[in-house]
Amino acid sequence: MVKNTMKIWLKKIKSKTKNITWTAWGIWYIDPPKDVSLDGYRIDNVIQYTDTVITIYFSIVILALIFFIFKYRTRPGHTAVYDKGDTKKHVLATIAMGLLVFFSIDTVIEAMSFRDLKEAFWNFPKGKNVVKVEVMPQQFAWNFRYPGSDGKFNTEDDVVPAQNLMHVPVNTPILIQIAPFDVIHSFYIPNFRVKQDATPGMVNAMWFQATETGKFEIACAELCGNGHYRMKGYLTVESQEAFEKWLADNAPQEDDDDWDDWDTEVDEDNREIPKEWGWTWKEIQ
Amino acid sequence: MSEHHEQTFWTKYIFSTDHKVIAKQFLWLGLFFLAFGGFQALLIRWQLAYPEQPLPWYLLGNLFYEGGLMTPDHYNVLFTMHGTIMIFWAITPMLIGAFGNFIIPLQIGAPDMAFPRLNMISFWTMFLASIVLLASYLLPEGAAAGGWTSYPPLSTPVGGIAGEGQTLWTLALTLAGTSTLMGAINYIITVVRMRAPGMTYFKMPLSVWGLWLTSIMNAIFVPIIAAGLILLLLDRTIGTQFFIAGGLATVEGGDPLLYQHVFWIFGHPEVYILILPAWGIVSELLSVFSRKPAFGAKVTVICMCTIVVLSSIVWGHHMYTTGMSPLLGKAFMFLTLLISIPSSIFFLNWLGTLWRGNLHFDPPMLFAMGVIWVFGLGGLTGLYNATVTSDIYLHDTMFVVGHFHYTMAASVLFGGLAAIYFWFPKMFNKKMNPLLGKIHFWVSFIPLNYVFFNMMVLGYAGQHRRLYNPSEYEFLAPISDLNISITIFAIILGFSQLIFAYNFINSIINGEKAEANPWKANTLEWTLEGPIPHGNFATTPTVYNGPHEYSNPAVKDRDWIAQSEPMPT
Repeated sequence: MVKNTMKIWLKKIKSKTKNITWTAWGIWYIDPPKDVSLDGYRIDNVIQYTDTVITIYFSIVILALIFFIFKYRTRPGHTAVYDKGDTKKHVLATIAMGLLVFFSIDTVIEAMSFRDLKEAFWNFPKGKNVVKVEVMPQQFAWNFRYPGSDGKFNTEDDVVPAQNLMHVPVNTPILIQIAPFDVIHSFYIPNFRVKQDATPGMVNAMWFQATETGKFEIACAELCGNGHYRMKGYLTVESQEAFEKWLADNAPQEDDDDWDDWDTEVDEDNREIPKEWGWTWKEIQ
Repeated sequence: MSEHHEQTFWTKYIFSTDHKVIAKQFLWLGLFFLAFGGFQALLIRWQLAYPEQPLPWYLLGNLFYEGGLMTPDHYNVLFTMHGTIMIFWAITPMLIGAFGNFIIPLQIGAPDMAFPRLNMISFWTMFLASIVLLASYLLPEGAAAGGWTSYPPLSTPVGGIAGEGQTLWTLALTLAGTSTLMGAINYIITVVRMRAPGMTYFKMPLSVWGLWLTSIMNAIFVPIIAAGLILLLLDRTIGTQFFIAGGLATVEGGDPLLYQHVFWIFGHPEVYILILPAWGIVSELLSVFSRKPAFGAKVTVICMCTIVVLSSIVWGHHMYTTGMSPLLGKAFMFLTLLISIPSSIFFLNWLGTLWRGNLHFDPPMLFAMGVIWVFGLGGLTGLYNATVTSDIYLHDTMFVVGHFHYTMAASVLFGGLAAIYFWFPKMFNKKMNPLLGKIHFWVSFIPLNYVFFNMMVLGYAGQHRRLYNPSEYEFLAPISDLNISITIFAIILGFSQLIFAYNFINSIINGEKAEANPWKANTLEWTLEGPIPHGNFATTPTVYNGPHEYSNPAVKDRDWIAQSEPMPT
């Protein structure tokens, strides 16, 4: 009777848990989203280096711990060695090991990070081929603005596509400036390893370059209210021609009176759509 | 006569000025909120594993939500209150309130705290704060929902959170901060002024060092967060705009970033405020159960002091993605990484204590060794967040959640549980069941590691935090199974704490009477026969020995000598 009940329960548990990933160290076979950016590999490299080194150090600590547990466990006749560990030799040894950790992990990842920041993440692209985009998140959607054919923002020919849809050309540096309409948001595209907060009162900059075409998800990484979880956008990476065609399709029509047409006041989420962009491109340097 | 008796009851158990009673009051408060906040964690985990499916009966879904279904508003309340409660209402009262109160006067040989009445007021302010916090659940709009960091403008009425829950949260936290501050001043002065004769600073046990340094940090940094919270309260109630800018602002001059700086100037030291008592306690316990002096105790103390100084100048690493100036970003990164030097020295001293010891695996020792494991992982994974480039990707993902659960939840909680198992005989004069203690360790340790480690894996796979429904995103589809298995382990972890609850309460009621010094420890509290009277020591002890005199060859027949016992010549 008991056995049968047990069997039924076991079956139930088995059927419920059959397709679940059970992993003690899932990091070995769960990958981050595919990197499709020019510089994303730099971040992956820093993470990989840190993974490797800390695995080594942690393993040493745990092996030592297990060894000590076995070797120095209490048993009849076994006594501890009276050792305060405050001789010069001991202190120097611990400090040396502390410095070893610092120089083998910290200084290396620091050097990698400094190099990557200088060469890539904080080295904003300049030049004519750079595509500039203004991003204005709001509760709970992404607004994008392109400068149009004159290359300047806040002019008649600015392109403001439908919300949550961003298009960029492949293999071209994309320079973004971002400021929110209401609260703090964070522009996060996992496939590009980029993340940038949008804080009221500040215009922040970031850049990336796509190496593959496709459609990728944009998420908001900073809590912005109860719709935070569904504040999702799509980034379409396409060829230069397709991108130009898309820009032209979204260009303001003759009868458009700039913002008035776009301004539908209140949408189904009872969300105020911004009537004005409210800020504009800030030239850096 | 009966009136007199009742008065005694009130002054003895409720409005007591005895540090040992106040310690127990803090302990009960902390344990209550630990259960409360822990339960909320299970609800959060359920939602992440089975988004928008009704909660099962064992999570009491129907009791809280209509049809057992959680809405995004509920979810935001859950993680906000889970974080707030665990940090300020569970860990702080348990480690700093309960053990700070209990250990400090007993271990330094003092009759009580320097200011017993302030001590009592500190507890009752905390109690008031708890009532304010719990009352916010009863509001029609629900409790606070801005995250435990409550960044404005979201946490201001113009940012979308209009209910009074957020206001009460701000008020409750300010009150809790006031309570902490009163405690901190008390602890600092007690340690400075009331040490027994012969108790020099370096003869203080490491647990007192940890608690004392924590109190110094509390005294410095709690006023900063209190200032920030009061400004936020003004923004919420009388319409000032200290932290509002951009499209929502009607006047110029506010800055949301200012709040983030103020918050993290307090917020990063807060991590060390919580961990230092645990570190001190663990250093102490490893020495007791290895029957060996704490390895390099002076160096450990110097490391703790270094970490205190460094921790106050690294807050910017929480803000790498805010558009920080490159110079500032690099400086914060360098300073943050510097912390790994004292931390590794500190860590090696723990291993050094075990080295050539005589290890007794009682429950407090298991938990103390558990801290070596979980803090090892928690500390090392901090490197990813300290580095600007990897933090760009990992910031605000579940990786950060896993990391700070390892450092704050796992390490601090294991330190606290080790302390409970260790000092229980002195606090309640009863024994706890050691077998149940060992079972409790293993059923906590294994699921806890599964949950927190794989949280980091989730973050590595891209899952951002505070996410109501991961199934909204395609890039999160590969890890939906992992979310389920984590939740199953989290539920095991949560319900296995019932073993501890049973052991704790049953031991208080039915436990065997404990001897005065069950662990053969040498610090002053173990020289007292329980129950310890108000005023502690009949005669003020004189201290002759260091706090970790175990296996000293000068002592014959036993492997310890009390601090107040002259060393045989």
